Amino acid sequence: MDKNQAIINFICQCPQIESNPLFFNFIHGKEDNKQIITQSNEKILNKNFINGDVLKRYTISLIDFKSVAYNAIVKETGYVDENVEDMAEVQDLIDWVETQKDARNFPDFGEDCIIDDMQVLTENPNLNGVDTNVSPALAKYSISIQVDYIDTSKRIWK
Amino acid sequence: MAVDQFDLNAGQRAERKTLLTVVEWTEGVGTTATQEREILGTRTEDSSVEFNPDIQTTTDIRGNNYTDLNKVQPEQQFDPYLVLGGSKLGAKLHDIMLRNALSELNQFTVYLITSYLTTTVEGHKVYRTQKQTECTITYDSLGGDVNVNFPITVHFSNKSTNGYVNKLSDDFTFTADVTV
Repeated sequence: MDKNQAIINFICQCPQIESNPLFFNFIHGKEDNKQIITQSNEKILNKNFINGDVLKRYTISLIDFKSVAYNAIVKETGYVDENVEDMAEVQDLIDWVETQKDARNFPDFGEDCIIDDMQVLTENPNLNGVDTNVSPALAKYSISIQVDYIDTSKRIWK
Repeated sequence: MAVDQFDLNAGQRAERKTLLTVVEWTEGVGTTATQEREILGTRTEDSSVEFNPDIQTTTDIRGNNYTDLNKVQPEQQFDPYLVLGGSKLGAKLHDIMLRNALSELNQFTVYLITSYLTTTVEGHKVYRTQKQTECTITYDSLGGDVNVNFPITVHFSNKSTNGYVNKLSDDFTFTADVTV
């Protein structure tokens, strides 16, 4: 199976993604829109095994667009700042991926691939910047998801 | 007898995956006994058959060297040899380790398949193979960092038979060479 489609199918299982528009590589940024951006992976990092298997890596960035509030934090117990709330929602994406990893629910890369590991590269989301050309301004939060898989297609022992 | 030639183009290198080490053993006893086979080398990046030659060299008064090869003690280490789901051999060795049943470690048959060396038998391509019986497999350690590693060493017995296998899968048939 095409790995990009496999990762889309996988990501779409996430409740937050399921209920919001998801885009692949190209997007018009809008509140709560999500975007998958593919990353290139260095072939030099592949690991070859003596039975012909190759450990490869597939990486994507998942961008989450959130509207920005320019309000000072209200110093009252129980009040949650909108920006903090947005950040927590993106953090939920990380937690969801980690939960899937623990449950060994991985993207289906097809019969010639064995998923070895899947991880989010950071403990918390990265704030990539704010697009002030739109109203309201949009913050771009991102997380990177890395899937290590064994490509077994070059085996001669069947 | 003519020497078989490598099944490679001139200058072409043989890929490492074309040298295979396959272990065979019997599971169970009596009429319920089954023969199991497993290829070694899953998740192993580098492994070689070390022949460990025992040599004795003398030098005469003219400075010439004379080397006697007394014996070879081939062995092959697989490190890492990870505890992997689906590995029957790994599970068997682990069970032997837990029971400390050391006497069960020397009853393995090992096939060294040199699939870059082929010949044709009755119109079918076959792969030159050395079969060694009563080989010993030792486990060297248990542990590691992220994943559980259980490295092993295959000690070849030198009780060998040359022949060929008809396919590169667990259900191969080994045919010994006929000496005329």
